[in-house]
Amino acid sequence: MPSICFYFQVHQPLRMRRFSIFEDNNGDPYKLYFSEKLNREVFEKVARKCYLPTNSIMLDLINRLDGRFKISYSLTGVFLDQCCEFNPKVLESFEELAKTGCVDFLDETYHHSLCSLFQDKTEFKEQVALHAKALKTYFKCKPVVFRNTEALFTNEIAKLVEDMGYKGMVTEGFERILGWRSPDYLYRVKGCNSLKAFLRNYRMSDDVAYRFSARWWSEYPLTADKYATWLSRCEGPLVNIFMDYETFGEHQWEDTGIFEFLKRMPEEILRYDNLDFKTPSELVALEPVGEIDVPTPLSWADMERDASAWLGNEMQRVCFRMLEGLEPMVREAKDEQLMKIWRMLQNSDQLYYLCTKSWADGDVHKYFSPFDTPYDGFINFMNVLQDFRHRLKQKLKVEERR
Amino acid sequence: MLGWEFPPFKSGGLGVHCYELTSAFARKGIEVDFYMPRTEFEIKGTTPKLIQVMPVHFGPYTAREAYGADFMSRVLQYNLKCAEEVEKNNREKKYDLIHNHDWLTVRAALLAKQKINKPHVFTVHSTEYDRSGLGPNPQILDIERMGVHSADRVITVSHMMKKQLVDRFGADCGRVRVVYNGVDPDKFMKKWEVRKYSKEKVVLFLGRMAEQKGPVQFLQAAQKVLSVVKNVRFVMAGGGDMLPYLINYSIQLGISDRVTFLGYLPESQLHEAYAKSDVYVLPSVSEPFGITALEAMASGTPIILSKTSGVSEITPHCLKVDFWDVNKMAEDIIALLRYRVLNHTMGIHEVEDAKKFSWDRAADETFNVYRELV
Repeated sequence: MPSICFYFQVHQPLRMRRFSIFEDNNGDPYKLYFSEKLNREVFEKVARKCYLPTNSIMLDLINRLDGRFKISYSLTGVFLDQCCEFNPKVLESFEELAKTGCVDFLDETYHHSLCSLFQDKTEFKEQVALHAKALKTYFKCKPVVFRNTEALFTNEIAKLVEDMGYKGMVTEGFERILGWRSPDYLYRVKGCNSLKAFLRNYRMSDDVAYRFSARWWSEYPLTADKYATWLSRCEGPLVNIFMDYETFGEHQWEDTGIFEFLKRMPEEILRYDNLDFKTPSELVALEPVGEIDVPTPLSWADMERDASAWLGNEMQRVCFRMLEGLEPMVREAKDEQLMKIWRMLQNSDQLYYLCTKSWADGDVHKYFSPFDTPYDGFINFMNVLQDFRHRLKQKLKVEERR
Repeated sequence: MLGWEFPPFKSGGLGVHCYELTSAFARKGIEVDFYMPRTEFEIKGTTPKLIQVMPVHFGPYTAREAYGADFMSRVLQYNLKCAEEVEKNNREKKYDLIHNHDWLTVRAALLAKQKINKPHVFTVHSTEYDRSGLGPNPQILDIERMGVHSADRVITVSHMMKKQLVDRFGADCGRVRVVYNGVDPDKFMKKWEVRKYSKEKVVLFLGRMAEQKGPVQFLQAAQKVLSVVKNVRFVMAGGGDMLPYLINYSIQLGISDRVTFLGYLPESQLHEAYAKSDVYVLPSVSEPFGITALEAMASGTPIILSKTSGVSEITPHCLKVDFWDVNKMAEDIIALLRYRVLNHTMGIHEVEDAKKFSWDRAADETFNVYRELV
């Protein structure tokens, strides 16, 4: 009897401002590096098109179905910060959802960063702790399932996560690691003792997230009852439907009928005796059926499902190494503001914009990017990183003199 | 095909285009007679067959002034004579189509069309607006407008140019086709295969020294760059009316020791100039296409393109700037000089991308336009 496990990733990048080396660059680095105006505009737009209406639909569904409809979220710290700064109503609506008891939350890195790939894992642990603290403050919850930035996963990261006390971790159900096996079960992870991996059923997930409005698709249009039928035919104990929350109203606009689909879907699913909804916290009790071995990075992004969306070309790797290399200086500087800025710069989207892949995925990158080309993105990011390093050096010099 | 320039007698993109296009046609077995002004040297035994028409006494193909005050009347004479020759040769050759390039041969094409009654294709490489900055010659504009309206098909080298024809001459969109210029990537040395003898970084400008090519903006950006990075040489290759002014201007800006004016470069040195440069800048105020950018791409030299250039439509592997945004231009130059990984990544992608723009493709697309008519 498959339990449907809905998990939504909620995140908005911190977009950068065009940083000019010919301007007066003294002053608040947050204002200099990041475009408050653009971030506010995008946030307001997505709040209006997606977060507020979708949350209200979810709340309505949970109330109407009497606790039988359950979902889970992970909200990045970057998102929570922007809620506070731009539109607290969005945060309140998530708090409302949390109070229903039908909504589960997952932990992740606070700054949506790739610090799990740093050599030194201190930063990763700190960012996860920051996120856990934020969830406790806002939603009074303590997640037991973890989801790393962009579902990035390796045996090593999984072990780290297990040692931090999590029982489960979310990643992609990709053939490279599964072979002939189905994603609709829990799996052990090589090198871990008891951590269980939740694997995304990417076909069923992408049917909604990507193909919902695709007229070229033979199954277009996707209706709630058709989707429920497909789910009822799944044979494992769970089906992991993971996607960006912005699917509702932002990636798939309202006029595609996505909201109508969402409103009808839970009831259609519950029509089937063999289907119900459960959260990752409940499902983590299931017995795993096998083991996965993930020696190299696995993620849910691009066709390759590896780290190449962020670290695929030399420009991206240079920036990443530079970010990583700044850590000792940042820690030595003992300056809270500079620490915060360094973490904001770790936001994986900054590297995503530098991707130079030329096929279909390149278009996805372009859709999300505020830059004309990856090269412009690199120049801006690198100039900012140089400026930031300069600030750190200045700061350390002053400290020394004291 | 009715033309004006043909290598080695050329001053810019027009000559390159005619040469490469007719060569590609020859490889595909499409026979072309190319009409051009008679030069001091007779060229024989070439493909395509060059038909050199008498009356224009050949001056250097550079500035309009070089042709003297009676330039317009000489052009007219050439056109009349050209049309006569076409009619004469047609008796034996039975041409299928007349194709002319730019305003210089519009009247010849129209006359020839009347005489032999065959369809006419008109390629616009640039208009008088692009060439003359502030004071377009109304006579030339009239000829261009006439050509655009009478031709059975008009070919432009970019969508930007097409839009200009529609906006300024009221051209009929349905008859205008875009065929981008090409490049032969194998001809060009790659940046990473050339040994440089100096540690000095080189930023290249290559084009006629004329207002619309943006040399002034290039020098202004150079000054900004030099305020941050010291060991850079700015090389300006090309002749033109503005050369003396620009030399003075570089002195005024206090950067004359960092700017080298090379004058007009022959093809042999051209390839080396691209390959030995770290950055190529095309800062044009108005550039219908900009073949030089494709050539720099083929050499793996990163390009910074003005947004008002046709070539910026076709490649994502470049940095685009507004020609007036000297700060951004300087910042992009600095970034390409400082960040080796950026320079190299762009270079590699450019070389790959340039392969898509072969002259064979341009010839095929041109031929498809012919096929609409024949």
